[in-house]
Amino acid sequence: MASFDFEGKRVPLQDGDTIASALYRTGVRTFTRSMKHHRRRGLYCLTGDCPNCLVNVDGEPGVRSCTTPARDGMMVKRESGLPSAELDLLSIADRAHALMPVGFYYKTFIRPRFAWEVAERVIRGATGVGRLPVGREPRMKENRCVHTDVLVVGGGVAGLAAAAAAAGRGGSVILCDEGRLGEKVAPGPTLERIRALESELREQPSVTILERHTAVGIYEGPLVPVVGEEALLQVDPGRIVVATGAVESHAVFRGNDLPGVWLGRGAARLAGVHSLRPGRRAVVAAETTEGLEHLRTLREAGVDVVAAVVPDSLAGRVPAGVPVVRNGRVGKAEGRKEVRAVVVLTASGPQRIDCDAVVLSLGFAPRDALLRMGADLPVGGAGEVVQPGCSLDEAVESGRKAGGGEPSPVPQAEPARLGRAGYVCLCEDVSVADLEQAWSEGWHSSEILKRYTTATMGPCQGAMCGRLLSSFVARRSSSPTAGSPTTARPPVRTVPLEDLAGGVHEVIEKRTALHERHLELGARLDWSGSWKRPFNYGDTAEEYRAVREHVSLMDVSTLGKFLVAGRDATTLVDRVYPCRIENLAPGRSRYMLALDEAGYVMDDGMICALEDGTHYITSTSGGADRMEAWLRNWTDRWDLHVHVVNQTPMLGAINVAGPRARDLLSRLCDDPIDRESLPHMAHREITVAGVPCRAIRVGFVGELSFELHHPRSRSVELWDALMDAGRDLSIRPHGLDALEILRMEKGHFYLGQDTLPDDHPAKLGLSWAVAMDKPSFIGKVALERMAEIPVERKFVGLAFEGAVPGRGVPLYAGDRIVGRVTSCAESRVLQRAIGLGWLRAVDGEFPSVLRAEERTARVVPTPFYDPEGARLRA
Amino acid sequence: MSLKIPCPHCGLRRYTEFTFGGELRDLESRDPEEDFRRVYLRENAPGLQEERWFHTFGCRRWLTLRRDTVTGRIDGLV
Repeated sequence: MASFDFEGKRVPLQDGDTIASALYRTGVRTFTRSMKHHRRRGLYCLTGDCPNCLVNVDGEPGVRSCTTPARDGMMVKRESGLPSAELDLLSIADRAHALMPVGFYYKTFIRPRFAWEVAERVIRGATGVGRLPVGREPRMKENRCVHTDVLVVGGGVAGLAAAAAAAGRGGSVILCDEGRLGEKVAPGPTLERIRALESELREQPSVTILERHTAVGIYEGPLVPVVGEEALLQVDPGRIVVATGAVESHAVFRGNDLPGVWLGRGAARLAGVHSLRPGRRAVVAAETTEGLEHLRTLREAGVDVVAAVVPDSLAGRVPAGVPVVRNGRVGKAEGRKEVRAVVVLTASGPQRIDCDAVVLSLGFAPRDALLRMGADLPVGGAGEVVQPGCSLDEAVESGRKAGGGEPSPVPQAEPARLGRAGYVCLCEDVSVADLEQAWSEGWHSSEILKRYTTATMGPCQGAMCGRLLSSFVARRSSSPTAGSPTTARPPVRTVPLEDLAGGVHEVIEKRTALHERHLELGARLDWSGSWKRPFNYGDTAEEYRAVREHVSLMDVSTLGKFLVAGRDATTLVDRVYPCRIENLAPGRSRYMLALDEAGYVMDDGMICALEDGTHYITSTSGGADRMEAWLRNWTDRWDLHVHVVNQTPMLGAINVAGPRARDLLSRLCDDPIDRESLPHMAHREITVAGVPCRAIRVGFVGELSFELHHPRSRSVELWDALMDAGRDLSIRPHGLDALEILRMEKGHFYLGQDTLPDDHPAKLGLSWAVAMDKPSFIGKVALERMAEIPVERKFVGLAFEGAVPGRGVPLYAGDRIVGRVTSCAESRVLQRAIGLGWLRAVDGEFPSVLRAEERTARVVPTPFYDPEGARLRA
Repeated sequence: MSLKIPCPHCGLRRYTEFTFGGELRDLESRDPEEDFRRVYLRENAPGLQEERWFHTFGCRRWLTLRRDTVTGRIDGLV
């Protein structure tokens, strides 16, 4: 037999059980302890509105046991109370309200200052609002975007009618409900109507019914986040019908929070749906006709209704055999652990009635938070949310109208009845006396009274108490607006953060066309920005040696690659980039910096002039998206006739580097690639092993190299041909680990690793790459402005005595920190530790001998390796 | 939370398809003081603002939107 574990005991399950109904059947009456005063709280609303039944399920705190279906094998426990909710020593707090007056955190534990840090921890632990499940695997929910013409929130009578009417007008409809349709309703006319409407609706192909999907808010757009069991839906509807119904009025009297005090629909659900008795002897206080239905449901379940407290208008409809108390009002519930008796106030004086349950059907509070937060949007209400207490026919009519695009007007909120004692806010333990106290301290409107007392700020988000708070203010204030309802904001239901984070685990991993080849070669692939790239192929030293002594390949397909074409292409690149463009002949390339408008280095790359007046531009791998947006922005702002084609995903690129690179290529290529035909900083179209390539002579690694840009679809073919042809040349590919040393020996920086966001070219020693005599380029005026300021910080090469220091360590001149090491490695050719880093001027001069982690560091000129570039130009 | 932006090429799309590009600013200035103001200072004013958006997950074009920064209401394209 199915069962779950409750605090070490086995709780058997029946069909249709919620966690709450199964627990109640085994005799559990105290579900939680209240937050401040540790009073017993039991089942009350059974509609998911009140905070009384929150339990911990499988480590997740704050689960509403009354609306969560029970499943076999669950681990359920109560969160509050010391040592347990049943026997709570902290209930002493109920005798000592003075210790924790309203607004206590503004009044107590203020001095000494450390007191609050201690007290906060103690108080937080005592509230029993649940502990975060640390270490638990998060649920990986999906994130889906859903478009629909009409979204109906709420699957009651009005919601179902609205969905049918909306579907009848054509167009798509989504109806969502936080539970299963009709699951909370006891058998009777309402349930019959729901089933009839539901079966009609299920015939409609344009309607999607989403059960156990909770709409938690309405944002402008409108956008409605709907939390389902598998996914977070971002619903983007044309219009919204809110049919969330109403909750029965929370009544405030002394003892109103005792276990055994029920809202009518809660008691009826327990009796009618779960066949459980909310008590043996019940007093039913009914001021609505629905209350009389509840009374009948209770009697059918075997509850002895010992009194019906009803107004004159309903007295005649109370079933025979039930004692009637006319025009009475429940004034007090007595009992320590549970209700033992109620005192009913009547015109002829108080009347005490022994009972173990008090069932209240005193009116309705619309569940209108969604409606209120959608006030400026195409959002309309239907059914009880706009006509609390309406009949079934009225609900259907209102739903049909709203579904057809004609929502009912939102009525003025009616003041709620408020007793002189008892708990207004169950979540935060705020009583009428607390509100009175706060009022006397001068907090005279709903909004500030709410903030001061925290009433309405608990898990129920004001569903039970919002109207009561307004009524309290209206009663005390002379201002007509002081009692306005407080602003409704999402979420209207508690949502685990992991649900709102749905979809964030779906990381986009970019791969080059050679991904599989790298894996076959034993590469260690890891993240490099949004790409997965080979860091090494198992032997960084040999990879390094292949570049310096033989020939090596590197997959550089991740580089940003752009074609800039059109009538104004040259104008665009000339006005965007600081390098000289007008003398860049077709077939030649130039190193290019991209500066932002503040003159800071944003990116770098190569610019290649093509025969037809277009330009082929490369950028760093991480800067590709930004470079495209940047070029397109200026095209748009300057109103130029330019096409910017981002070829990054279409083209692969393989760098063939090393002293034997030309030998290797000449085996596969008939085009001229000799020193005269294709010199350093030149490019041309060649065919390598049948693959059309643009070969660019550049060198980040400081050896003879050819960057072969080619169609991505042919990357594998080209790579294989090169690897085959180079076998007797000791070819092997190199990864980012080897590149790190190779580029450092040449003194090349990595943008972002070595540089800072406010580096202008002079700080990086790159003034040569800026043509200040050009009429204009982006950042020029800023550079002119900054040229008047002495350079206080510069990028330098470092040589260390001894071993390589840690990357990022500070550089000292005497006792002062004057810089930082941003890259460092053991140079194989120089046989010593080298690095790159930042240096600040001391009294206007840059020190040349420094200390890094107890070893001497000297500032040396870069490149460390082949300073004349003879190997590069080979 | 869910602005919908009328892209002139793609139609009405959720703002999540776009990248925000900040306030629309003057193009350029030869005067260093004026250029400093243009590069570093923003109006950040409540009310109608002209601002740049890049349709990253769409046509990959820029547009200039007139939007009320207080209400989020969009008052069309510039």
